Amino acid sequence: MKAVETFTTDFENTLNLPDDNLKLLRQESFEEFKKHGLPTRKEEYWKYSDPSIISNIELEFVFSGQYEDRNYDVILVNGKIVKKFNDCQMGDIAEGLRSGDLDEDLLKKKDKPFLNLNNAFAINGCYLILESASKQTIRILNLITNEGKNQAVHPKCVILAKRNSDSIIFEEFKIMGNGTSFVNSVTDIIVEDGANLEHIIIDDFAKDTYHVANVCVKQYKDSNFVSHNFSMGKKFARRDFNVELNQSGANCNLFGLYFVDKKNHIDHHTTIEHKEAHCSSNEHYKGILSGKSTGVFNGRIHVHPDAQKTDAIQNNQNLLLSDDAIIHTKPELEIYADDVKCTHGATVGQLDEKGLFYLRSRGLNRKEAQQILIRAYVNEIIENVSDEKIRSKLMELILDRLPKGG
Amino acid sequence: MLKIENLHVSIGGNQILKGIDLEVKAGETHAIMGPNGSGKSTLAQVLAGHEEYEITDGKVEYLSKDLLEMEIEERACEGIFLAFQYPVELPGVNNTYFLKSALNAQRKYRGEKEIDAMEFIDLIGDKIKLLNLKDSLLKRPVNEGFSGGEKKRNEIFQMAVLEPKLALLDETDSGLDIDALRVVANGVNSMRNEERATILVTHYQRLLNYIVPDFVHVLVDGKIINSGDKNLALELEEKGYDRIVEEAKA
Repeated sequence: MKAVETFTTDFENTLNLPDDNLKLLRQESFEEFKKHGLPTRKEEYWKYSDPSIISNIELEFVFSGQYEDRNYDVILVNGKIVKKFNDCQMGDIAEGLRSGDLDEDLLKKKDKPFLNLNNAFAINGCYLILESASKQTIRILNLITNEGKNQAVHPKCVILAKRNSDSIIFEEFKIMGNGTSFVNSVTDIIVEDGANLEHIIIDDFAKDTYHVANVCVKQYKDSNFVSHNFSMGKKFARRDFNVELNQSGANCNLFGLYFVDKKNHIDHHTTIEHKEAHCSSNEHYKGILSGKSTGVFNGRIHVHPDAQKTDAIQNNQNLLLSDDAIIHTKPELEIYADDVKCTHGATVGQLDEKGLFYLRSRGLNRKEAQQILIRAYVNEIIENVSDEKIRSKLMELILDRLPKGG
Repeated sequence: MLKIENLHVSIGGNQILKGIDLEVKAGETHAIMGPNGSGKSTLAQVLAGHEEYEITDGKVEYLSKDLLEMEIEERACEGIFLAFQYPVELPGVNNTYFLKSALNAQRKYRGEKEIDAMEFIDLIGDKIKLLNLKDSLLKRPVNEGFSGGEKKRNEIFQMAVLEPKLALLDETDSGLDIDALRVVANGVNSMRNEERATILVTHYQRLLNYIVPDFVHVLVDGKIINSGDKNLALELEEKGYDRIVEEAKA
């Protein structure tokens, strides 16, 4: 377990940092992480994704860097803020706790090892507070730079959408340079009463990257949360998306699109906790798999006893472009209330041969015909993004990265 | 233009076409009639290049080239157009975008300049009127949610835009009411000229009142058993397929 040993040494080194008001919380988190260690395939939720493949790599903790790009309002490099957005209150995690904007609970013991590990290394991080009632769009770049090392990065971003605020957050993960990166990112999102938040997350492809991402959303009364989760496969990619609908009238729409090729791997685990009555959730994830890639979709909907009149819809569709690609898709519904509406569906298929023949009979070659059908397939997810500029930017990014058939 | 010799075709081990001979010259309109399951649609699909069919014997020459060696899209670019019996729905693919891409693919093949969105709109204006198509259909995904009649008109609209040399109309009349039939026939007739050939595959004589063929062929059990002019279709309508088959045997 070289990785855990290196994490331990690196963690101990961080304890000597000056002015560290998070030290105690971080220590508790690290102890909690060590109790469990890295998860293995023996655990149900890691059945198809084995994070212990990183256990023999010595991963050096990196937590700073420099970068500037005028296209972004906020830039984090290896988890550290290097560019701030002036129109809203923001700062690093320690500042957030000191000012009272953040609650200590955020860093308390968690039931997931990677959340504890992220908290243990939360020496920088970033929080931002959204207050504007007129729609505000903020572009965040979460950049990982690697100068050819084996490195571990633990970016953390906390987004607080205050009462009745209305915002769009476009969060991009990018990896620059080469070398092996283990990225253990956490995005915490709190959507207060009556707030509207649209969150777009997209990550960039990089060759030797192991990415474990956790997005944790807590919603309150009559809030609306719309998520667009775009992800490309990597050597290892796992994204957990957890939404808690804590008070009545909360509504979430989760859209996802993943594409993976070569021998890459992508795993999405989503959980929606319906805790109170009169909440609704609508989830639609689509995947495209080619080459010898593997994909996992595990969609859990948990309706608690008090969550009467819940309306939950889940749908997962997968397109396999090669004979060797594999998808494991599994809906998981756990319902403890009796007056609810829950539907789910999962499909796995190939490009429609009739459609291909029709397109080709009009003069388009096989490749063009495939591209038209794939474009239509992904557009069903992308078209839900409300901002036209972001939508066309995403279309451009995604079309460029899509597996090119076969 | 098109010369079919001794064409034998099977699908999944079933022999469908059992020796078709047919010659179509530029400017001609041929009707192929026959009972259900006789192989009419198979012939149209094979000419368009459908890959599920197996050619077990025979040859097809189109514009002095071996048609059976050509890819589906190559045939289209060389001027073959199939109006589908069951036009395919393409969810999420915009109808205008689809047709513009197809036209540009064909222009590119022929070494012509691709046309832009504005030029395309000018080009299709008259053709939309000709086929009496609602503008909204152009903005919708291809054939999705179209009525039966709208789908067929959309096929002929595509044909009008792509201007093929050889048009294959596969049961274009099926599912059309009289008004829609007139519109479709009018569209097809307006495109008839000395350079273009048309093959109409149909079950009923009705369509041939509107699109009058030069030749009529009766296809039964994978073979053409009788050929004649438009009067053959009337005779067929009067006597029914069974009698024609018996007479042909006798």
